[in-house]
Amino acid sequence: MREFLARRAFLRNAAGGIGSIALSQLLAAELPRTGGLPGIPHFAPKAKRIISLFQSGGPSQIELFDYKPQLVKYADQDLPDSIRRGQRLTGMSASQARFPIVPSRFGFSQHGQDGTWVGDLIPHTASIVDDITIVRSLHTEAINHDPAVTFLLTGAQIAGRPSMGAWLAYGLGAETEDLPAFVVMISPGQGGGGQPLYDRLWGAGFLPSKYQGVKFRSVGDPVLYLRDPAGMTREDRRAYLDTLRELNEAQSVEFGDPEISTRIAQYEMAFRMQSSVPDLTDLSQEPPSTFDLYGEDARKPGTFAANALLARRLAERGVRAIQLFHRDWDHHGGLQSGLPKRTQEVDRASAALVKDLKQRGMLDETLVLWGGEFGRTVYCQGRLTKTDYGRDHHPRCFSVWMAGGGIKAGLVYGETDDYSYNIVRDPMDVHDLQATLLHCLGIDHTRLTYKFQGRNFRLTDVHGRVVKPLLA
Amino acid sequence: MKWLILLALPLVADEVQFNRDIRPILSDQCFHCHGPDAGNRKANLRLDVREAALEPALSKRRAIVPGKPEESEVFRRITHTTKGLRMPPAYAGHPPLPAEAIEKIRQWILAGAPYATHWSFLPPRKAAVPAGENAIDYFVRATLRANALEQAPPAGRATLLRRLSFDLTGLPPTPEEIAAFLRDNSPHAYEKQVDRLLASPRYAERMAWRWLEAARYADTNGYQSDGVRDMYRWRDWVIESFARNQPFDRFIVEQLAGDLLPNATREQRMATAFHRNHRTSAEGGIVPEEFRTEYVADRAETTATVFLGLTMGCARCHDHKYDPIPQKDFYRLFAYFNNLPEKGLVYNWGNDEPLMKAPTREQAAQWQVLEGVVARAEAQRRKLEPQVQRELAQWKQSLPRTGGAQWQPKENLAYDGKQRMAFDGKRFEEVKPSPVLLDYLTPFTFSAWVNPQSPEGAILGIAEDYDEGNGHALLLKDGRLRLHVVFRWTDIGMRLETEQAIPLHRWQHVAVTYDGSRYAKGVKMYLDGVEQPLKILFDELNWPMKFKYPLRIGAAYGLRFEGEIEDVKIYQRALDQSEVLSLWDRAPLSPQSHPDKLRLAFLEQHASQRIRSALAEERKARENLAAFESKLPTLMVMREGDKRQAHVLLRGAYDAPGEPVEPGTPSALPAPPPGTRQDRLGLAEWLVDKRNPLTARVTVNRLWQMLFGIGLVKTVEDFGSQGELPVHQELLDWLAVDFQESGWNTKALLKQIVMSETYQQSSQVKPAMLEKDPENRLLARAPRLRLSPEMIRDQALYASGLLVEKQGGPSVKPYQPPGLWQELFGGGGYTQDHGVGLYRRSLYTFWKRTIAPPTMVTFDSPSRESCTVRETRTNTPLQALTLMNEVSFLEASRKLAERVMAQRGDFSARATELWLRVLSRPPKAKELAALEKAYQRNYARYRKNPADAYALLDQGEATLPRKGDKAELAAWTLLSSMALNLDEAVTKQ
Repeated sequence: MREFLARRAFLRNAAGGIGSIALSQLLAAELPRTGGLPGIPHFAPKAKRIISLFQSGGPSQIELFDYKPQLVKYADQDLPDSIRRGQRLTGMSASQARFPIVPSRFGFSQHGQDGTWVGDLIPHTASIVDDITIVRSLHTEAINHDPAVTFLLTGAQIAGRPSMGAWLAYGLGAETEDLPAFVVMISPGQGGGGQPLYDRLWGAGFLPSKYQGVKFRSVGDPVLYLRDPAGMTREDRRAYLDTLRELNEAQSVEFGDPEISTRIAQYEMAFRMQSSVPDLTDLSQEPPSTFDLYGEDARKPGTFAANALLARRLAERGVRAIQLFHRDWDHHGGLQSGLPKRTQEVDRASAALVKDLKQRGMLDETLVLWGGEFGRTVYCQGRLTKTDYGRDHHPRCFSVWMAGGGIKAGLVYGETDDYSYNIVRDPMDVHDLQATLLHCLGIDHTRLTYKFQGRNFRLTDVHGRVVKPLLA
Repeated sequence: MKWLILLALPLVADEVQFNRDIRPILSDQCFHCHGPDAGNRKANLRLDVREAALEPALSKRRAIVPGKPEESEVFRRITHTTKGLRMPPAYAGHPPLPAEAIEKIRQWILAGAPYATHWSFLPPRKAAVPAGENAIDYFVRATLRANALEQAPPAGRATLLRRLSFDLTGLPPTPEEIAAFLRDNSPHAYEKQVDRLLASPRYAERMAWRWLEAARYADTNGYQSDGVRDMYRWRDWVIESFARNQPFDRFIVEQLAGDLLPNATREQRMATAFHRNHRTSAEGGIVPEEFRTEYVADRAETTATVFLGLTMGCARCHDHKYDPIPQKDFYRLFAYFNNLPEKGLVYNWGNDEPLMKAPTREQAAQWQVLEGVVARAEAQRRKLEPQVQRELAQWKQSLPRTGGAQWQPKENLAYDGKQRMAFDGKRFEEVKPSPVLLDYLTPFTFSAWVNPQSPEGAILGIAEDYDEGNGHALLLKDGRLRLHVVFRWTDIGMRLETEQAIPLHRWQHVAVTYDGSRYAKGVKMYLDGVEQPLKILFDELNWPMKFKYPLRIGAAYGLRFEGEIEDVKIYQRALDQSEVLSLWDRAPLSPQSHPDKLRLAFLEQHASQRIRSALAEERKARENLAAFESKLPTLMVMREGDKRQAHVLLRGAYDAPGEPVEPGTPSALPAPPPGTRQDRLGLAEWLVDKRNPLTARVTVNRLWQMLFGIGLVKTVEDFGSQGELPVHQELLDWLAVDFQESGWNTKALLKQIVMSETYQQSSQVKPAMLEKDPENRLLARAPRLRLSPEMIRDQALYASGLLVEKQGGPSVKPYQPPGLWQELFGGGGYTQDHGVGLYRRSLYTFWKRTIAPPTMVTFDSPSRESCTVRETRTNTPLQALTLMNEVSFLEASRKLAERVMAQRGDFSARATELWLRVLSRPPKAKELAALEKAYQRNYARYRKNPADAYALLDQGEATLPRKGDKAELAAWTLLSSMALNLDEAVTKQ
């Protein structure tokens, strides 16, 4: 609270430079917060928080968002050199003898006011098409999972940079004292397989480690070591902490080190988390209508649906950055049988989250992002049979969708060629995406920096531009 | 930074110094666009070089006119009132320079704008210190005096011993050690403790931790599937090196270039694993060269960070923006590390080449013994050679010319299909399931007689039957004999073929052998018993193959055979040439049989008992040796392969080579003497040359950070122009020169520091001091620092008596919450150790880079993904939860409680024991009262609920004593846990 008051005072003092209208907006957007930097947000934010529904492995844009009816004509023909243009391929298909084009074997239909084409595998997403912006022209530099995911989530392919959530925790803090600013949840996909994830994807990089994402788990303690040992009640813990505090305070008086008071405060926050987290993950008070919306899967801890529901509950409680991961979208082969399983797992709950936020009046202030680290090739990787096919990684275009705070509703942005291979209109790179997301959160991406190794680093490195046409 | 300038102001009122006062401003505010980076330079103006700054610019104006600020464009622009013309530019979001900075620039130009070489690029000088004074205290006090501060009184003795014990050994003192120290009234009591701790084997383990972080040591590869590696023998090397106080310059040289030293010892070669500790990728589909480039760059960047304190990585894509490091310099450093015969796509299941066997001393001794046994057995068998010759000649004469017995190798013969088969390019024979399943590490031999009618066809395969499929197969392609061992056609497998086509329309014997090494160099092909030159088509066999394809003769990979095939044999081992010849020569034994075959058959079946037992003896000895060798630990090490030409990589991209470059040291630093080798050894010797201005300073500074929490230069990784100026440069320089003069004696340096009164001060913080010097850079008190992660855990194990002290060896897997690996990776996950592995020092904890041990990272351990030298400390609720609830700490609390309860006496005696074990001091009266109150509460509570007491005590694998009052133990367990959770317990004060 003290920080909050100090911040208000800061804003008032800064009023001369900002202009009174902007200031009133700033103050209106202000809620008590813990942590964060003075002067940030840089301007009135549209969104207070972000929920990122990351689909790890690279969902195929060709089956889901980027409708290419012409491909049927080209089926089983080799990808023309005029399209491939000698671009590099992964080591997995570079030495393939041929690159036969395979159209989507799943239907597409038109939805929403503008008749937007959406794959039939994701009917629920199709039902919110008027609330979201689909970007069909995102592209990335990396063609392999590790560098590509690291790039999307930290702005650099090489390990060591802070993740976007860590940047937000650092710059904006949280609007809660009982939960971390940045929370991560992972669902494996029913096969249990898929590409591995890495702590660095929610890591703090060179920022102090307290800004790293805190993983909420579906097995064991929801937060590592949250639960007191068996045989210890809340009263026991309270009594324990009271004594601990008494002893620490005496030490603080003697040594005068402010770090001791900080530690006392951290133990108190730990105590609060011990009740706030179970309260958060306890879905027993959710009405049946919640499960009608998210699906019965949401009752099973660790599913994407359950995590999506938790994401809404975290948003309600003032968590700044909520990062979901759903694994197993890496369909080099077995796409025909594998892709429907993944869409089955995430489609309903993804749409439910947007609807749920909307009906609670929270969509305006919550930014939602759905997508993976790259797209997939129009040509088949491995064996093309009547019952199956596969697609390799494709960095040159892929589709994501965004919704909520600051983002236009019902927009389709960008366009690819007939092969969903190259972008022909409105390309947008990963740093542009990051710059745009930060913009919605009231952050000038060039000004949220941290000095490390003599240089002011930022999420977008030395790149990125806010893609204005996406902004509401 | 700002307060430092203010603090320093009284000192500098009369003279402006370029390095101290001007360079930081220019570097931070101007160099980005007007500095060393030619590619990014605006208006063609550079301010980092005096001559350039004085010349007329494009605008004809001169940036700096010495003595005349008003005529200097720099001054005009930084003071410009028009926003659009003011520098640094408002459009880029820069505020105007602060008034003090502008004034400094004005003064500086007025004084003639003298430049100076960046301080850290000039050699350190050892300033005179009055005789009898500790140099550290002398310099620190001088700065304190200048800032009107004085040193704090000495810390209490118990506090001091605890501080010293953690600093030098990573563990707290025992109550006995404290008592002994408090009793010792001799003037050298403290020094004796210093010497005792420096001599402790624990010292080396404490020192090793920091080096492991700098060296990005880990037990896994770090990218994507993050497979295991096995580098612990290098960790052992580091520990041993610190234990014997190896001069630090040699420590550096051996790690960078031990393999290039004349007559390099095994240990010196092992040391070079240092530069194989970087992350590597086994992700399918990567472009190997992209990642190999990354590995080489990591070596260059790590070298620059650890030894030179330079952020050379900034010059990877363009000239450095702040320091005089052109992009070319980065690639010259890169070139030193570029000739390693390594792969970009590495093995995911263990160490990858180049590697060496790295036995422990005991293993090396045993190895020698086993080699001796082989040598003796071989000598014994050789001695019998005349007898072999005699017996063989006799036996040969006894053979009939025709109709004799058949002999062919039988050992590990997995399939023997004698019949002749004709193939028409369509039909094939299938054996389902295959009589043999081959994995990628299974050695094998395929042998057959063939009479091909077409240059394309499959002889045999245990493989998929379509083009670009998977599995093992022996084929004819373009008439050449070809082997496929494929896990995934496009990127994982091994393919090679004979250089020459084999003749068609005639019977001939073909054989291929593979030694199970997973490299194409382990394959041989024979035509009629003659080894054929081979062409390697693809050599990336690095993934286990659990295929269950049938054996097909005449079909594989969609190919069919035309012609005849006979006498197909598959062995589950690699036959040698003599054995292959015995298959080619398939006539019954006769005096005309091939001599190799005759000898094999004779030795196996007809030699005298004496010869046969000598042979058996030798074979057994060789098998024992091979079995032993296969279990020896290995290390990935440095090795010079063929020269690979290095290039400047445009924008840092692996596939955009520019100008070729040769190995060379950074151009802004003193060059190596002429005649220095242009290889890693030359680089290493240059790093430790006394003319190198950086290495000793950087090393001393890092050790200072280890003790004080902050380096004399806070930016331990950056001594460049964006780095911090040292608060006590004379001290840093004095220590650096003295360190060199001492023969890079690390223990002597540490002793010198801890013997200073500066180190021995109290760490109490007075409010006035806190305001004046919050970070304690002036050292008017000792630092009060949270313990590092490994110390926090090790202390709990040690205080409770659980710690198992055993130096070195493979990594161990202590407790970890279940599922932590699976939720990110799937698969089998973490297999926790039982017994000893749970209680080793944290130095030995298995380090998986992508999911580092949670108790360590929660307390701010770097992830070990890249070189990290800067220490950071945070204070979070997750740390509180870990200390309160993680099983190691709960188990340790209970064991500590048992220890405390074993103490005779009343509550206060026991509480004193607890406090001594954890805090190295007895409790104060108020603390005692608080403890007793808490104890009474908990005792009553658990007395009433014995089941809760049992539940609370049921932690970890350490046995719970059967006897005794469980309520009492539970109450003490909570007090012990509380003790371990105290701020004071996790703090070095």
